[in-house]
Amino acid sequence: MLDQILGFLKAMLDQTGVSHFWWGNIVMIAIGVAMIFLAIVKKYEPLLLIGIGFACVISNVPGSDLILPGGLFNYAYRGIELLIVPPLIFFGVGAMTDFGPMIAHPKLVILGAMAHLGIFIALIGAKILGFTINEAGAIGIIGGADGPMAVFVCVKLASHLLPQVAVAAYSYMALMPLIQPPVIKALTTREERLIRMKQMRPVSRLEKIAFPIVIGIVVNLFFPPVAPLITMLMLGNLFKECLVTDRLYKTAANDLMNVIIIILTVGIGSTMNATTFLTVKTIEIVALGLIAFLGGTASGVIGAKIMNLFLPEGEKINPCLGSAGIASVPIAARVAHVVAAAEDRENLLIYHAMGPNLAGVFGTAISGGIMLALLGVK
Amino acid sequence: MIVPDSIYGAVILSIIDFLLSILMITGIGVVLYLFPLLNKLGKLDDQAIRNSSH
Repeated sequence: MLDQILGFLKAMLDQTGVSHFWWGNIVMIAIGVAMIFLAIVKKYEPLLLIGIGFACVISNVPGSDLILPGGLFNYAYRGIELLIVPPLIFFGVGAMTDFGPMIAHPKLVILGAMAHLGIFIALIGAKILGFTINEAGAIGIIGGADGPMAVFVCVKLASHLLPQVAVAAYSYMALMPLIQPPVIKALTTREERLIRMKQMRPVSRLEKIAFPIVIGIVVNLFFPPVAPLITMLMLGNLFKECLVTDRLYKTAANDLMNVIIIILTVGIGSTMNATTFLTVKTIEIVALGLIAFLGGTASGVIGAKIMNLFLPEGEKINPCLGSAGIASVPIAARVAHVVAAAEDRENLLIYHAMGPNLAGVFGTAISGGIMLALLGVK
Repeated sequence: MIVPDSIYGAVILSIIDFLLSILMITGIGVVLYLFPLLNKLGKLDDQAIRNSSH
């Protein structure tokens, strides 16, 4: 009788998650809690880290049905994997973004490419560590500091690495305020950080309406592999700038964007299960992602300094702007502004930094598109 | 696959991708330099556009 009762209790226990709990789950739960802590206490990108952190915690509680096929978190992940979520994120971002700074200051657009050297440092590093060329490309694109684009390119090149790549990309984007300032300060002098930018010319409504149409054509013509993302970015922006679709642009920029952020963050967090995540490969990818971010920031700043060699006195640019070319809109622009403002509180660099920052989105898309084309992936 | 799956391939891919990226983004910059010319076509008044949509 007692044996039977104990047998029943053991069978019941086996059906719960308790018997499947291992130290890896504790590590991952601690990581999830740390993300929530950083979001609440340090205010590091709470919109991203709360959802990722919470889903990370839940996905490491054995027995949670949410992450299994048919569970809501799993459906969220499927939305990312099927490339439904990334274009919708871009759609919302487009509706929220004023491309005026980029149109007004085309000289700074090149920083959007210069700040992407990190992609290639990570790519070569990944190849040296033994990843395949497609996997190395997927890891390298983390350095583009553009979450949806990293997800998009990773799914096309090496979908099995999506959890690690997505987590690295979004986590580092959230941690930009910690990662970038030391690099910017190490590569610039105080005098350089004090450089004030000239006021930009006003951008007309006609230019703002023409911009998404022209870019939409250019991107679909030259970079079809990544065109879905940029096209949706431009559609969202056209809704905003044409002034006759206020309802649609407000929906895209607010309600839809909020829903998609929830889906995106829990989808990414739900992939952070200890069994698949706590591997040497993950550590290598996370390390390469950090190198990519550091390299990208450094190359952007150095790129701005190289530009200054050719610019006349009075036209020189604040090299902090180079770091904003890494994309991660608008976090990197904010970091560039904060670093410059630390030297001179009245130096308002944010608007100028948005130019290279937005160009960085195109830089990542172009790099990703060329990479996919060279690797023969459609 | 066009690029060989080797370190050499990764280096070649990186060089070509980086240079082409700079070239392409410079092209976008050149297009943006031409944008002020659009204003010669006329001026769109924000208020008039908004009013015409109601």
